[in-house]
Amino acid sequence: MSSDLDVGFSLVALAPFFAALLAPLLYRFTKDSTGWVLAIVPASIFVYLLSFVESMADKQFISAGFDWIPAYGLRFSFFVDGLSLTFALLISGIGFFIILYSGAYLKGHAHQGRFLSFMLMFMGSMLGLVLADGLITLFVFWELTAITSFLLIGFDHVRQASRRAAIQALVITGGGGLFLLAGLLLLNRMTDLWELSSIFQFGPAIREQAVYPVLLGLVLIGAFTKSAQFPFHFWLPNAMEAPTPVSAYLHSATMVKAGIYLLARFSPILGGTVEWAVALTLVGSVTLLWGAATALRQTDLKQMLAQTTVASLGLLVILIGIGTKEAILAAVLYLIGHAFYKGAYFMVAGAVDHGTGTRDITALGGLWRTMPVTFVAAVAAAAGMAGLPLTVAFFAKEEMYAVLSFTGIWDNLFLVNLSLVIVMVLGNAMMMAVGLAILLKVFFGEPKPTPLKPHEGSFSLWAGALVLGGFSIWAGTQLGYFSHNVLEPTAASIYNFKVESNLYYSFGMLTSTPFVISALTWVLGVVIYLNISVIRTRLREFARDLGWSFDAGFDWLMFGLIRFSDRLTRLWHHGRLELYLVVVFVAFAAALLVPMWGTFTLPGVGDVRTMTFYEWAVFVIAIIGLAAVVVARTRLVAIVSLGIQGFAVAMFFILFGAPDLGFTQFMVETLTVVILALVMTRLHLDQRDSREPLDLLRDGGLALLSGAGVTMLMITVLQTPLDMRLSEFFAQTSVPLAHGSNIVNVILVDYRGLDTLGEIAVVMTTGVAILALIRIRGGGPQTGVGAKKRPRGGPGRKRKAAPRPARVSGRASARKASA
Amino acid sequence: MTEYLMAPFVGAFFTAAIYLILSRSVIRMLLGIAVLGNGVNLLIFIMGRVSPEVPPIVPAGALRPSELAANPLPQALILTAIVIGFALFTFLLVLGYRAYQELDADDTDNMRLAEPKNAPRPPMSY
Amino acid sequence: METSHNGPDAVSELPAAMLQTATAAGDWRLILPVVIALMAGALLLVLRHSRGSQSGFAILAVVAIIVVEIDLFWKVLETGPLAMTMGNWLPPFGISFAADLMGAGFALAASVVTLVVLVFFQAEIVPREQRHGFYPLVLLLLAGVTGAFLTGDLFNLYVWFEVMLIASFGLMIIGGRKIQLDGAVKYGFLNFLATTFFLVGLGYLYGLLGTLNMADISLVAPEADKRAMTGIAALFLLAFGMKAAAFPVNAWLPASYHTPDAAVSALFAGLLTKVGVYALLRIMIALLPASRDVLDPVLTAIAVSTLLVAPLGALAQTNLRRALGFIVIGGIGAVFAGMALPTVVGVAGAIFYAFHSILTMSALYLVSGLVERVTQATDTRQMGGVYAASSPISIMFLILIFGAAGLPPFLGFWPKLLLAQGAIENADWLLLFAVLANSILTSIAGTRLWAHIFWRQGREGARSEHKNDRLRSLTPLEKWAAQGSAIALVGVIVLAGLFPNLVFTSAGISAQDLINTQRYVDAVGIEVTP
Repeated sequence: MSSDLDVGFSLVALAPFFAALLAPLLYRFTKDSTGWVLAIVPASIFVYLLSFVESMADKQFISAGFDWIPAYGLRFSFFVDGLSLTFALLISGIGFFIILYSGAYLKGHAHQGRFLSFMLMFMGSMLGLVLADGLITLFVFWELTAITSFLLIGFDHVRQASRRAAIQALVITGGGGLFLLAGLLLLNRMTDLWELSSIFQFGPAIREQAVYPVLLGLVLIGAFTKSAQFPFHFWLPNAMEAPTPVSAYLHSATMVKAGIYLLARFSPILGGTVEWAVALTLVGSVTLLWGAATALRQTDLKQMLAQTTVASLGLLVILIGIGTKEAILAAVLYLIGHAFYKGAYFMVAGAVDHGTGTRDITALGGLWRTMPVTFVAAVAAAAGMAGLPLTVAFFAKEEMYAVLSFTGIWDNLFLVNLSLVIVMVLGNAMMMAVGLAILLKVFFGEPKPTPLKPHEGSFSLWAGALVLGGFSIWAGTQLGYFSHNVLEPTAASIYNFKVESNLYYSFGMLTSTPFVISALTWVLGVVIYLNISVIRTRLREFARDLGWSFDAGFDWLMFGLIRFSDRLTRLWHHGRLELYLVVVFVAFAAALLVPMWGTFTLPGVGDVRTMTFYEWAVFVIAIIGLAAVVVARTRLVAIVSLGIQGFAVAMFFILFGAPDLGFTQFMVETLTVVILALVMTRLHLDQRDSREPLDLLRDGGLALLSGAGVTMLMITVLQTPLDMRLSEFFAQTSVPLAHGSNIVNVILVDYRGLDTLGEIAVVMTTGVAILALIRIRGGGPQTGVGAKKRPRGGPGRKRKAAPRPARVSGRASARKASA
Repeated sequence: MTEYLMAPFVGAFFTAAIYLILSRSVIRMLLGIAVLGNGVNLLIFIMGRVSPEVPPIVPAGALRPSELAANPLPQALILTAIVIGFALFTFLLVLGYRAYQELDADDTDNMRLAEPKNAPRPPMSY
Repeated sequence: METSHNGPDAVSELPAAMLQTATAAGDWRLILPVVIALMAGALLLVLRHSRGSQSGFAILAVVAIIVVEIDLFWKVLETGPLAMTMGNWLPPFGISFAADLMGAGFALAASVVTLVVLVFFQAEIVPREQRHGFYPLVLLLLAGVTGAFLTGDLFNLYVWFEVMLIASFGLMIIGGRKIQLDGAVKYGFLNFLATTFFLVGLGYLYGLLGTLNMADISLVAPEADKRAMTGIAALFLLAFGMKAAAFPVNAWLPASYHTPDAAVSALFAGLLTKVGVYALLRIMIALLPASRDVLDPVLTAIAVSTLLVAPLGALAQTNLRRALGFIVIGGIGAVFAGMALPTVVGVAGAIFYAFHSILTMSALYLVSGLVERVTQATDTRQMGGVYAASSPISIMFLILIFGAAGLPPFLGFWPKLLLAQGAIENADWLLLFAVLANSILTSIAGTRLWAHIFWRQGREGARSEHKNDRLRSLTPLEKWAAQGSAIALVGVIVLAGLFPNLVFTSAGISAQDLINTQRYVDAVGIEVTP
């Protein structure tokens, strides 16, 4: 592990972030050529990564990184093998063209700098994700892709549809990510390792654990949400609200492939079991057919492409699920082929949109004349989509149909393999039909009037599409180099063994089973294309009859959640203080009573000393005072009885050896009564309790229970002997060391002087607070909802609403209490 | 051991206080707060165990108080707590009064500015 | 003993009473922050009529506090918990101040937030309010909070709680709007009850154990009567749970936090609930482990319900700051989740979360204050178009809301990671679910706020979404003081999120010291004698 590798790979992931920070600033200087400047970043990353291709062919691993959080044993670590390198090359390579393309697509847009910044951040997240070795490093980048794509999808934020799509994507992919987090942590729990590269060897052991199905489920939810697998597929088509460069990059070539990457990456750890195969092939099949059929329904270019992307992702999931050598080879081939042709096709769609002002295929036609370069790119892309010979995707089909004849996890279940092949044929044929429809309807036929006069865009707009389309064919012809350096290392990373591929063109293959099935696919594709209008109408009718979609389900769920929250919050946070208090006292009574439940014991009768007459008298007076306060109807009675219980308490303290306390209590009680009396002349006491009988019962019961709880806990504590260390110490040292004979005073000013300091602080602060309270003038600016509504006065009284400032000082507010 | 009989006595203070605090009228709640403070002080006092009448004061010339002297520590704690409790009570009292003046309500049920009764529903949009 | 109390030779029979060594100069930094805050508070009170000097002096005082606390933090990090006892009385007889890493770290975070809020307030100042003691109250609040974090004595903790409470009362009503009075009534009564419950629990605890020193309590608690101990622990749980605003006794928070000025609610969001959290961590983990087996299911129930219910509250609100109040509460659920997991990882997660919450929630309120300035509204339905109007505010809000939801690479992710790991370690699937579901729900609530306030161009109901015509730009003072201070705080949060090693280390050490109190007890200097 050399240090320049550490720096190099960290930079691969981080350089886009640094560039992103600079992008908005850069835009101020370089304006519309910013894309060209920033494209240097992915270009250099691509070139840097390319230098590792040769070493991957020898199945070398490279790991690199830094200590990140040593306290937790986490490293910021990277791990490069065939799989990561292929992904990283795709991301940086396509990224280069996308950055160029973005610059041209958003030419003159006020927020182009911001957009490029988001794109670069996304690119960095994606690169970090595929290169990550540490589980947490991987997760951090995983969620970063969700966050950056949130910003990108919502880029056109003025429209509600964009905002909705952004939130939807974040909730589904970000939420799925949290499942992944749980899975990763579980993996860490099982192996005590944080690094993927060291976990691989424990694959077999992990698969035998009892929690394996849980782990599998968590990881799969993470991958399926990200890669838009059924039933989480619906966010992807909505994400097309984003500007086209985003769709081309995130939603065809990279982000949605993150889930595929994850499955491939975890294949050696979690793969090869029946659970794995069943889950992946089943979900993949449904997604493939659903996506392809939905694509046929659309007439919007981007929607058609988006839905076929869903389908392609399903196909990839099926292949990884099957997990045989051929299937893995097919997956890698398809992955690369798809990235090329779909990226190209999206850029074509963007160029068409840019050049004509519409994306509806029924409104387009005959563009090959006016947009010739785009047309050439579209032909290459459509060829890839159809899997015609000379493209990478051709070999992908060859390999995937080999499932039928080769062994795998279901080696003797011919029917299962057959049905999988049928699913793939159907899916591929439908996708081919969509590809054909785009090519033929848009570029051939009669030119139709479009919002803009059709014109070819600038170099940056078509270069990417052309190069990607070209690559699709280049890789399909340079078989030796491609197989050895890219295909085999990548497949080996997924398959966990050395994989040898055998790609070539020959006449002999014309009679092989896979080729025959391929040919069948093409025929079927053409047939579907020819009937596309009928099929579209049927599918639309079907969807309308169904009357429900997953997308609508999302709204239902979200708004249902909001409505539920509203209800719940109104229930708990109603603004009625007395109910808040009820909750508090229920908790208080429970805290006291529940621990006592069944274990409470009374002390023996002998322990209870009789009391003197004076003591009884104080008790009785206090109780009378209390009772009188509770039932008081006039302020005089209330104040007097409050005074009575207070003075009884003071007497109590004096009786039991606390004269200081007694006198303080006298003083405080007097003050309390005086102040209350002053305030009560203005703030009037209701004649009677305004509570309903039922409320009275509730409150009374609660009060009694609380009182009982207080009593019981007291009795329980009193049954234990008290450790008098502290007081003994104070008694011994008060005179000799602290030089005071009144121990209570000595405690206050010496042993616990700090309490007294705090007490003084409280009194001082109270002064400030009350001062602030009194000096408030009413009618200040309002904040908050409904602030203008003036609440009604207490029941039975009507008070004049006083708009003038109210003061505490005498006259201004000398209202008569209407008692 | 007088303390056991004092436990229900303290319990009565709590009961009365809580009953008053649960009433919706601010003034009754304030009465309850005052009673509650007394109850808590009594509780602390009794928790320090109660002994008869000798205050914890060292007689002149002596080095330590009588063996029968009351436990001084709870007394010191209560002295602190009384003052603090009184300060808070005063604040709440003035607050209640000011709220009555400004909000024109002494029934807490009618104090609904911060959390209005007919609070708007959350919008169903994105 | 029976002959000695009047004998002339009593002095020679005295127990060891005083610490013989003078307090080391370095130990003064334990009490110095509180002393500075109190003295500055008192002085500001005197100075409250001189307008010019107040803010400068207050800021200077807080900076001094921060310097001392940084020093304290490093010292504790290097050498373990520190303690000093007032008046040099031998603990547990005098009041000890004791700082472990958790206390020192929280105190530091609290002062940093206070500093930021003071600077923010410069743009918020209304002369009338200044006169009514904003600065002294803030300093006194800080004194109370710092005292609570650093004291080693339970009754002293109560006193600092009250200092904090009464100062917060004052701050709550400063400004004097009617809605504030309403909020203050609910805040006042409910919080008064919480501290009263604390005092009740304290009385019982003294009656059971005969001591008030926390280190001492942790030594004698295991042998105490278990029923009584459980009841007392339950009382403390209620008292501090209310302070921390845990479900279902959290009503005071959403009823009041949105009513005062944004700077004040930012201060509250950072400090108040966290003191409750701190006290809970101390009491429930360090002091009363004996009662945990009974209370553990309760803790789990509180954690799960708070984690799930709180973000729903945020989802249902249309008042921005009230919605944020619910997000604060959700974080309290995360802390409870950590407490319900009695392992170092779980507790470290709780401590980390509380630290994150001090910084992030304050910053969120500050940013919401800026949003209110820019949109001149408090209701999210009346907001819109801030994204186009202000990039700094947008970036800050987004970072903070994702941080609050616990998404990486923001600060809030790391404690969630620890909590999830702790839940998996304990095979507590319910807690794991709640912690993760909280993240999803919080991000739904957060992104909705984001969409409505920032992305949406106009106000709710405007069908064609006309541009929000009520947007205004910040004044230079607001830009430099308010927005600048918020940016500084968010900068700290981002850096701490990207390089969380120090916080991880500290949270780990704090958790270990909480679970195994040996180092803390040694530092306080209690001798273990039966």
